[in-house]
Amino acid sequence: MVTFYRRLPKFDYLAPQSIEEALALLSRYQGSAKVIAGGSDVVPKLKRRAMKGIDYIVDLKGISGLDYISYDGAGLKLGPLATVRAVERSDVVLETFPMLAQAAESMASPQVRNRGTVVGNICNAVPSADMAPSLLTLDAKVSVVSEKGSRTVAIQDFFTGPTKTVLSADEIVTGIEIPNPPANSRGKYIKLTPRRAMDLAVVGVAVMVTPENGICKDLRIALGAVSPTPIRVAQAESILKGNKFSDELIDQVAEAAAEGCRPISDHRASAEYRRDMVRVLTRRAIRELLSDEAASAQGFGKGA
Amino acid sequence: MAEFSLIGKSVPRVDGVEKVTGKAGYAADFSLPGMLWCKLVRSPYAHARIVNIDASRALRLPGVKAVVTGKDFGGWTWGWMPATRDEPPVAVDKVRYWAEAVAGIAAIDEDTAEEACDLVDVEYEELPGVFDPEEAMKDGAPAVHDYAENNISVQYHWNFGDVEKAFADAYIVREDRFATSRATKGYIEPPATLAYYDPSGYITVRAAKQSPYFHYRHLAACFKLPLSRVRVIQPYIGGGFGGTKNDSLAGDFCAVLLSKMTGKPVKYVESMEEELTTSRRRHNMITYSKMGATRDGIITAIQHKVIADGGGYTAVGPLSLYLAGFGTTLPYKLDNFKYDGYRVFTNNPMGAAMRGHGVTHTRFAAECQMDMIADELGMDRLEIRMKNSIDNPAPGTTYTTINGVTLKTCGMKEAFRQVAEPYWHERNELPKKEGNISWGVGVSGAPYLTGARQMGHQACAAIIRLCEDGTVNLITGATDCGQGSDTVLAMIAAEELGIPVSAVISQKVDTSYTPADPGSYGSRVTVLGGQAVQKAAQEVKKQLVEVAAQTWKVKPEDVDIRDGMVFVASDPDKQMPFDRMARVACYSGTGAVIMGTGYSTYGLEPLGMESGYGNAGVSYSFTAQTARVGVDLETGQLTTQSFTIASDCGRMLNPLLAEGQIEGGAIQGLGQAIYEDFIMDKGRTLNPTFVDYKMPHSVDIPEMKLIDVETNDPDGPYGAKEASEASHVSTPPAVICAIHDAAGVWIKEQPATPEKIVKALKEKAKEKAQK
Repeated sequence: MVTFYRRLPKFDYLAPQSIEEALALLSRYQGSAKVIAGGSDVVPKLKRRAMKGIDYIVDLKGISGLDYISYDGAGLKLGPLATVRAVERSDVVLETFPMLAQAAESMASPQVRNRGTVVGNICNAVPSADMAPSLLTLDAKVSVVSEKGSRTVAIQDFFTGPTKTVLSADEIVTGIEIPNPPANSRGKYIKLTPRRAMDLAVVGVAVMVTPENGICKDLRIALGAVSPTPIRVAQAESILKGNKFSDELIDQVAEAAAEGCRPISDHRASAEYRRDMVRVLTRRAIRELLSDEAASAQGFGKGA
Repeated sequence: MAEFSLIGKSVPRVDGVEKVTGKAGYAADFSLPGMLWCKLVRSPYAHARIVNIDASRALRLPGVKAVVTGKDFGGWTWGWMPATRDEPPVAVDKVRYWAEAVAGIAAIDEDTAEEACDLVDVEYEELPGVFDPEEAMKDGAPAVHDYAENNISVQYHWNFGDVEKAFADAYIVREDRFATSRATKGYIEPPATLAYYDPSGYITVRAAKQSPYFHYRHLAACFKLPLSRVRVIQPYIGGGFGGTKNDSLAGDFCAVLLSKMTGKPVKYVESMEEELTTSRRRHNMITYSKMGATRDGIITAIQHKVIADGGGYTAVGPLSLYLAGFGTTLPYKLDNFKYDGYRVFTNNPMGAAMRGHGVTHTRFAAECQMDMIADELGMDRLEIRMKNSIDNPAPGTTYTTINGVTLKTCGMKEAFRQVAEPYWHERNELPKKEGNISWGVGVSGAPYLTGARQMGHQACAAIIRLCEDGTVNLITGATDCGQGSDTVLAMIAAEELGIPVSAVISQKVDTSYTPADPGSYGSRVTVLGGQAVQKAAQEVKKQLVEVAAQTWKVKPEDVDIRDGMVFVASDPDKQMPFDRMARVACYSGTGAVIMGTGYSTYGLEPLGMESGYGNAGVSYSFTAQTARVGVDLETGQLTTQSFTIASDCGRMLNPLLAEGQIEGGAIQGLGQAIYEDFIMDKGRTLNPTFVDYKMPHSVDIPEMKLIDVETNDPDGPYGAKEASEASHVSTPPAVICAIHDAAGVWIKEQPATPEKIVKALKEKAKEKAQK
């Protein structure tokens, strides 16, 4: 049987007015309900029949107060209805976490960014999710609730496989908390695409570096689209940490990042090209962050 | 040259406002009371015998009204030529490509029809498939059609001059293999139809067709009705570019048969994913090119062996393969040319026509190879082109190529001159390297034909009817599928009649009332349709002038019409607005019915497909192009910075539209050069969405500078020739040659993706290390 994109399957559309009500619905319908925020991932999946057994759609958009982007001095909080576009344009994000704004801007089209949410992007959990590498380098924490209680999951532990997360069917992500990055850190997300816009990442590399008097005080590297989930490459990070920056060490870091990923070959690129590009872009990101221009254009600092 | 009121002016599109405000009605916008929806059941195998189809479960689903299978069409098959009628409306005994239709459903709504598709039980016996045309030609390969030995669907063997001697005498001979990709048109309107088979024996369809009269003939033949009982009404068309919308599809035939069975109108709208998976796409062609040249860079011989992936059926393949050969003797002088072309059946979707049809494949090979020869000879890449380019024949004379193609005008050399300064010669003053980016400039030349000849009906015709309020109805069989021909034809009528464009009301094709026409096919509408309109308008003018002459008691030759006034130049008292004179004509005496007709007379020589000798079109356009491209030497990513395109399209009748077409052709060519390709796995298309089938976005488009090289061809209204297919053809070689100039690697297989570039750079580095 050949199934192309079709009309939406039949489902009941539920619009709870509160998180509690939403959780009750998820609990009642036990896996036959799916939460949507923007719907920009779920709706095409339903049309493609890639998501089966969904009889209920629980739309969070009717719940007020979930689109917050707030900063309290210690960190940033993003609500589940904060759209990608809102994050991209938020003054506090641009000032304090510019890498997040940069990643947001790299996604899809303005129309889709107006619709899709940052939380939705990570819940959809494709390996190429553009928000994930930056959130990984920022050590973001994901707040999760169900009728049974709430928990906080480190973003590093959130993804479990392609389109899979730690979330169970009765849980909702109520926000992402992003602590302030280290003082004097700088971050950058490089997204490799054939075209200049509206493309999926063939490889995504986020790097955050904290230089201090020529020494690498801290280095965090996260990769997208090159493993079953977005990943941090701790082994590569450790090569430079505590050492003086040098071209040789940067090359070693890049090499270790390339070795630390597990890319596949598909219709978008071969595994070999993806691995090569992790090497190239990791090196490029570190070098660019160390240059003075990058420091002023991409630098953090006010946050801590 | 007469001074024109409208010709040569950038008149805005007559349908622009309707289109941008969403008021233009496309096929999918139409509905009829009681209408059913058609959906197709498609094969999950690329090559399989159909053992049995049981639709009983589907028919039991409430809301399902009828199911058709291939057998219900009574064994009728169709094709582009009598000898190649190998395509059934719906697969009968076996499927030959993945997702080929095996049944059609009619149900009360789309959801029910989709659901019913899953309930049709089709038993298949999977057959070994063949997916590579070179493999398919080998002995023992699975046979796609029993009638085709070694799966060869069409072949041509032409030999002009003496290539063997020329290669033996040549100072330099190169042999290379080039390939083009599986590209698609990328229109935003997928195929759609609304069909009604009136129980009294008439078919009426509103269908998205750029050649409605082809569809009308297919339906008449399939349903065994006289043509006069088949009515194809053409709505607005959302892009054509050849191939799919010239032809009829499974959904078209099923909708009509399902309507016949149910007595209800039936609508079929293809999804974009179905379109990108199954519809006719550009052939990917492999060109083995051998080129010889003298020490001075004069090209003395070209030998091409072309292998085209034809997919499951022949479709328009004979013409595609013919054009791939025919085009090689343009735009450069060539005394020796040999062509062996093979179109090969595989279990892939069908290869068919697309903008730049046929010519793009072999021109890409020849342009790249010319650069390779120039480089080896240490010759400037533009200089070698100038040296070999065909000269513009003196007025009244023709230039004839070795294979009998006759040119009355050729702006190729002038176009090269135009791009030489400053775009080519100043390229070395621009930065060569910026960070990781290495910049390069490519140059190319390309021809295209105006008005591809037909095997049968060639002419375009027009009828113009004068209304008593001074407006006219322009009735043609021409289809504007987006190129703007409705505007240009209205301009021609208005120019000839001396009235404003707004007074010309164009009727869309309705095969019951408009004259037969090949539609938008092979860049013919402006030139052939334009000539027909010109003649019809001249006839209307003559009739109205006679009325004026009688009214004023002067000789007809003393009367003229211009800017909405009928007048006698020598007598200022004798003048009258056009609309008043129209009323005089319509109301005086018995009342005249003023109507003019005309049909085109260009290009009547038949196609020499077997011999390869003679003309393929009415006239020939030429483009010279430069492209500046940046290559990221680490990632292979490309930045296409600028195109300069000098076009000889005869005379631009409407520069706004002609330039839009030339730019559009070039952008589509850019997509083909660097992004576009269907990635296939055993006949299955892995990237059937616009997420993964990548076309250029607005931000990927380079700055474009257009230069008009006017030649005024005698075989075109006001000197016009085709515009935009040549720029479509010149773009891929210009870009690929620029990549070579920038990065020192030849990407001989389109598209030049970042990954291919990185791979080529790695191999180059390896070779260098070994030396």
